[in-house]
Amino acid sequence: MLPQQDDVSGLIIERRQVDSWIVFVLSGRMTAESAPEFERDCNARIVEGQKRVIIDLGGLRYVSSMGLRTFLAIAKTLEDGGGILRLCNLTGLVKQVFEITGLKKVIQIYDSAESALIGG
Amino acid sequence: MEFVHSAAREAQLPEARINELDLLLEEAVINVCRYAYPADRPGSLILTCTIPARGELYLEIADQGVAFDPLAAPAPDLTLDLKDRPIGGLGIFLLRDFANSLSYRREDGWNRLTIGVSAGC
Repeated sequence: MLPQQDDVSGLIIERRQVDSWIVFVLSGRMTAESAPEFERDCNARIVEGQKRVIIDLGGLRYVSSMGLRTFLAIAKTLEDGGGILRLCNLTGLVKQVFEITGLKKVIQIYDSAESALIGG
Repeated sequence: MEFVHSAAREAQLPEARINELDLLLEEAVINVCRYAYPADRPGSLILTCTIPARGELYLEIADQGVAFDPLAAPAPDLTLDLKDRPIGGLGIFLLRDFANSLSYRREDGWNRLTIGVSAGC
């Protein structure tokens, strides 16, 4: 299946299915404007029955507290429903923000999409 | 945003710091939208950039909304696990962490938040 792609206010969202995992690849900027659109997109897939979600942040250059709120909300929704959220490829400001807010301790984070898929 | 970017370049802030400046500005403006003005009573926001010296920039965000001192907001508990952790409350924490200086004053019905940003962290 070809990846699907949406461009929302400076945020590019691609998604693909790899076995039982849905993998979102985000690039650009996750702001107060673009974060809710991604949350709706991701939640729609969870409602459809997706329980294993990987979000690849390798192309994301910026995230504000509204983006962090979105990742926390998705993580909680998945945990409540017996699902799993894994993030990968954090760099620059995005990595820094996850470190200082302690989110690295409550959301599973991997170096690459490949390691997120195998969980190691 | 372009106005702030051109001020940051005039102040000779490095590109990485300009990305952080965007974060500071977004968090400060979200606070005004969320706390200062109720949904049924929109109001104005005045943004002023000052360059006191090369490598330094001050942003002042002024609004005439409800008095709100972000510096007085309690710090979030970053040790909670996922189940107990609230999804919000990180914006003011990020403001405090990324700003080189932060000051607030209430003056003649105005909230005035001043954010200092330097070339170094």
